[in-house]
Amino acid sequence: MTDIVTETNNGAALSVRNLVKQYANAGRRVLDDVSFDVPKGRVLVVVGPSGSGKSTLLRTIAGLEPIQGGEIALEGKVIETGKPGTEKAGRSARSSELRTHIGMVFQSYELFPNKTVLGNIMMAPLLVQKRDKAEVEREALELLGKVGLADRKDSWPHELSGGQRQRIAICRALILHPEVLLLDEITAALDPEMVREVLDVVIGLARAGQTMIIVTHEMRFARAVADEIILLEDGHIVEHSNDPERFFTEPETDRARRFLRTFEFERAPHDQQ
Amino acid sequence: MQGAEILLQPGVMPRLLQGLWVTVWIAAVSVIASVPVGLLVGWLMTLKSRVVRVLMRIYLDFIRIMPQLALLFLAYYGFARWFDWNLDATGACVLVFILWGGAELGDLVRGALQSIPEIQSESAYVLGLSNWQGFVHVILPQALRRLLPASVNLATRIVKTTSLAVLLGVVEVIKVGQQIIDANRFQYPTGTLWIYGVIFFMYFIVCWPLSIVARRLEKRWAND
Repeated sequence: MTDIVTETNNGAALSVRNLVKQYANAGRRVLDDVSFDVPKGRVLVVVGPSGSGKSTLLRTIAGLEPIQGGEIALEGKVIETGKPGTEKAGRSARSSELRTHIGMVFQSYELFPNKTVLGNIMMAPLLVQKRDKAEVEREALELLGKVGLADRKDSWPHELSGGQRQRIAICRALILHPEVLLLDEITAALDPEMVREVLDVVIGLARAGQTMIIVTHEMRFARAVADEIILLEDGHIVEHSNDPERFFTEPETDRARRFLRTFEFERAPHDQQ
Repeated sequence: MQGAEILLQPGVMPRLLQGLWVTVWIAAVSVIASVPVGLLVGWLMTLKSRVVRVLMRIYLDFIRIMPQLALLFLAYYGFARWFDWNLDATGACVLVFILWGGAELGDLVRGALQSIPEIQSESAYVLGLSNWQGFVHVILPQALRRLLPASVNLATRIVKTTSLAVLLGVVEVIKVGQQIIDANRFQYPTGTLWIYGVIFFMYFIVCWPLSIVARRLEKRWAND
């Protein structure tokens, strides 16, 4: 198994090797020996039941959680090495610069309420990347235009709908030109009608070749956007497929079949009088 | 309107205003200086170090448990004796009010900082902001908004508590009022109420704008 993974390592934007994640005072491993690669320009979708470790996986990659085993590498360079006993260590000490290479969008948007739309998007490029203000503003407006929100540049986050906020949050991550973009159930808090406008943006990004790892419960979206798909359960990879179409129609494992069936409904029969 | 003429006596209003100036000066210096102290104390209270937190806790509890009057006497008489540091009455007042305001504001700052969800600082982290940048640009501005109403309340409490300065012999607005009443006891026996009425009005004029500003800002930030 490991050999195959090493082979595909060439050209991987992000590699995760034997990742172990454990919380303090918890016997069970939240992530146990998780390994995969995300090739450059590809979209990996991670699905699985609640509590399977999907979000935790993204959080470890983003450096928000310390890992207790394994490695995370960005473009071939190891950025995180797991050490046992680091359960309470807090966030990774990785550099500001390195953090800008991995973008993350949260379920709850997490725009900064004390900044306007433009202020939110421009903050990190100005403070962290020390880029030229005029250039950053130009790019911010361009991004806003792409997500259809150019006219909201001076709005405050509280004036926007959830779907609009989430599109702004995506712009805020994209302006840093991250090698990998992590999307953590970004539509889970949205009304059905707003889900579409956000997912359209993500599909556009996928077409443009943005490397992404997406955690989602939207199976139809997963099917539309995934180049590869992982089913995670209890911190283990149950099935890893680079043929999403096949995964959704005839998955290899029984577990995947049962998981996918939970998203299907049959018409309830009426009681015969 | 019996006794109201006392207010028209030459020197009465100017002296009251002078007294008011002393009150406002002590209060303003104390409130303004409490802000950096409070921010520092509040920030220290959120740190992980147990030693720092315990020290801050002791400071806050000490200031809270002691009556302000006792603190004033401690500063006025105690400092001279223990440290050979001869604070004048006004200085002692300002010192005590800064320590008091700083402690109370610190606790407000701590509460406001801790009320900002952790994920906001995570959001700053993944964007590459340093801890300090995240604190200054993301957490602190939000916390300041949240603690505004309570801190204006604290400021008006400080203004009102400056009247204790009388007991150290500071001639602020209430002391001036008493002096005027005493001096005119026989000429205007009913002047007392008028003088205190004016003093009430003066306190109101000082504290009211504070609450107006607070209400305005609150309204402007209400939706965040």
